[in-house]
Amino acid sequence: MSDLDRAIAQLRACRPIPENEVRELCHKARELLIEEGNVVTVNAPVTICGDIHGQFHDLMELFRVGGDVPDTNYLFMGDFVDRGFYSLESFLLLLCLKVRYPDRMTLIRGNHESRQITTVYGFYDECLRKYGSANVWRYCCDVFDYLALGAIVLGASNTLSQPSGAGMAPAGEDVEIEVCNADQQIISRFLRKGDIGGSQTGGSQSGASGSPERGGGEGGSPNGAGQQPTTNGFSEGGSGPPAPTNTGPPGSGASGASGGSVGNPAGAVLCVHGGLSPLIDNVDKIRLLDRKQEVPHEGAMCDLLWSDPDEIDGWGLSPRGAGFLFGADIVKVFNHRNDLSLIARAHQLVMEGFKEMFDASIVTVWSAPNYCYRCGNVAALLELSEDDSGLGVLARSNGDVNRSDGGMGGQGPRGVLMENDLLGYNRAGPARRYRVFQAAPQDSRGMPAKKPVADYFL
Amino acid sequence: MSAPSIPNLLSLRGSRGGSQGQGRGGSHRGPSSGPSASHDTTIQGTDTDAAVSRLSAVELGYLIDPFASYFVTPSPSLHSRPSVGLPTPRRLPIINRGTYTRTTAIDILIDRFLSSTSPTGQPRQIVSLGAGTDTRLFRLLTSPQKHQNIHYHEIDFPVIISKKTTLIRTIPALNSILSLPTPVPNPITTQSFVSQHTNPETNNSLTLHPLDLRFFPSSPSSLAGLLPEYPTLLLSECCLCYLPPSTASDIITSFTSHLPSLGLVIYEPILPGDAFGRMMVSNLSARGVTMPTLSVYETQEDQERRLKEAGFADREVRSRTIDQIWNDWVAQREKERVDGLERLDEVEEWKLLAGHYVIVWGWKGEQIHLEVAQHRDGDEGDETE
Repeated sequence: MSDLDRAIAQLRACRPIPENEVRELCHKARELLIEEGNVVTVNAPVTICGDIHGQFHDLMELFRVGGDVPDTNYLFMGDFVDRGFYSLESFLLLLCLKVRYPDRMTLIRGNHESRQITTVYGFYDECLRKYGSANVWRYCCDVFDYLALGAIVLGASNTLSQPSGAGMAPAGEDVEIEVCNADQQIISRFLRKGDIGGSQTGGSQSGASGSPERGGGEGGSPNGAGQQPTTNGFSEGGSGPPAPTNTGPPGSGASGASGGSVGNPAGAVLCVHGGLSPLIDNVDKIRLLDRKQEVPHEGAMCDLLWSDPDEIDGWGLSPRGAGFLFGADIVKVFNHRNDLSLIARAHQLVMEGFKEMFDASIVTVWSAPNYCYRCGNVAALLELSEDDSGLGVLARSNGDVNRSDGGMGGQGPRGVLMENDLLGYNRAGPARRYRVFQAAPQDSRGMPAKKPVADYFL
Repeated sequence: MSAPSIPNLLSLRGSRGGSQGQGRGGSHRGPSSGPSASHDTTIQGTDTDAAVSRLSAVELGYLIDPFASYFVTPSPSLHSRPSVGLPTPRRLPIINRGTYTRTTAIDILIDRFLSSTSPTGQPRQIVSLGAGTDTRLFRLLTSPQKHQNIHYHEIDFPVIISKKTTLIRTIPALNSILSLPTPVPNPITTQSFVSQHTNPETNNSLTLHPLDLRFFPSSPSSLAGLLPEYPTLLLSECCLCYLPPSTASDIITSFTSHLPSLGLVIYEPILPGDAFGRMMVSNLSARGVTMPTLSVYETQEDQERRLKEAGFADREVRSRTIDQIWNDWVAQREKERVDGLERLDEVEEWKLLAGHYVIVWGWKGEQIHLEVAQHRDGDEGDETE
């Protein structure tokens, strides 16, 4: 057993590793990360995760639900630390896995991976408490500076892979969105409606009635996983599940607007912690940033980590005091220009675990269940399947390095088309499987003395 | 209680903060209120919780309150985040903003009460239920507005009142403002305590009533020094919610039926039924804290109805969630100042948490008027407050 494997085993047990091992780990990680571009290219299949925030036991639950490393290819969109009580163990475990399985683990930077923010939101205090000095915090912050700012997922399929649960009906080619619970049971499926372009966008906003996660979450025991598919909102998979009714699943932009033809490789998916920046109109501009620094208070790098989509036109001021708000028009133009079918981002608490917006052109994925031990939310993972038609990885422009056309000057006709096309525009999105999960059971935390105490206004 | 002295936390924290060798001491600091602790002790503990939150907000610059530090005693279990190496019992920004907003809101309402009743030249009474370690009177008495004729009454468990009288007796910064508490006989409380403002011309005073609110009298005038004819503001800052609903409404009714000129301000949580609210109820009950009225007054509308049923006219009842108060009552420039203290990143969580607390208030009688104008968002330079 190598030192690294031993460190992984120790961290999996939620025990910190010694300071000198942290230093060595961070050194190795930095050597690895320095070779990565600002925008990492990742091939599907991949499981995309949002904020973790030091909720170590919920991270273990995430691995249980999403599959272990290296069996599952993971992409974490930042905010590993702060708020929860185990930022240290969570981040170091992810870092160990990154060093051990560099091709199966992608970590990009969140706004909490910053010296300034971690001194306010807990990671600094935690390191001080667990090691008696700030050295480990410093080593970790040095790694933060080298984390990539985004990732491009290539080769995602328009068709879902076979579900891993036993006895589950395969998803038909026309399933665009599948929502599963932590016990591998399907909660709902939503069909791609290729020939009814742009009609249905219902239920896209916050938690409408009938949260799918609740129906499923209470159904199966953790040990009796996947015995039978639920028929909750779904009957006889494969041979034609019913078309979705007028409401999509909470968090889903519903499926209606996808205009792509079934079976073609999907466009690329851009993953970034926060969102877009008015200073970044194509993916290549992200690649040109000098990222190896503390997160600045403003500018493109700051925006990528701090911005949020919102129901506005164009750009707006962010209530966070950093980054911007951006509307559907911004996302659609950006996706079109960069040949993206979807932007996946994290950064905002979503009670249902995920939330698609703007005709499914952007999705928020949130992976910290019962955030801060207080919010009562569920968490989600986003699985993108590999396109096995062989077309997907022979990506076309797909936003890959130097291949974006930029959509700028000299592209008059396309620009006009883009303008005309904007309202109805929607790239054929990849098939998406969301796995929704709840906080790890209290007893699995196994530390009664440290039972989390959430603050309220009393 | 014969505590020899209540130590000043600041001096103790100085030595504690210096030792970084506490290592994982944090893991032994579970909440002291296990299932064995009585509910009363737990509820009294929520006052300590509030005092620590207040001190955190003060030391970070959210609030100005030179008295906050005297009311925090060093006890490891108070610290939700053991902060070795840090000089302050620091709360997270979201809690600090909540403390700021709630304190500011009640300050605004008290200011309305005082300014509307000031022209009468009569005494005005403020009755604070479960006041605990509240420092508000000390701030009022030292404010540049030079308030007069404030008869302030605080009612709390005997053990809490005892701590407060001890603090006033032992801390010069407090007994330079208020005279040493003098016992006055009172059938209801056995013995209440009166302190006069050290500037006698102001006719300001504090009366401390050691009384378990479950045994509140049928008429407030049974309390020493409380006169029903004076305009009165009744204040419940997260207090009535801990009582059985019938007891809570009896207390309110005893005021509304005996005091013709009355304002009422209640601050407490709402919405126990949604995902956040269910977790809140479950987390608090794990700490031994239950709020029986929460299931009776679940929504903002329920809270308004509560006041209307208690005898306040529809047009003289208002409510705002803490989130709405932050948006509507805090001027833009002040918001920027507060946000600049710590970068609050938890926008969604703030909306959730602050949306689960409400201030509901009402007034009756000609002398009292508690209307609050809101700051128009985006209006720069509109700094009327």
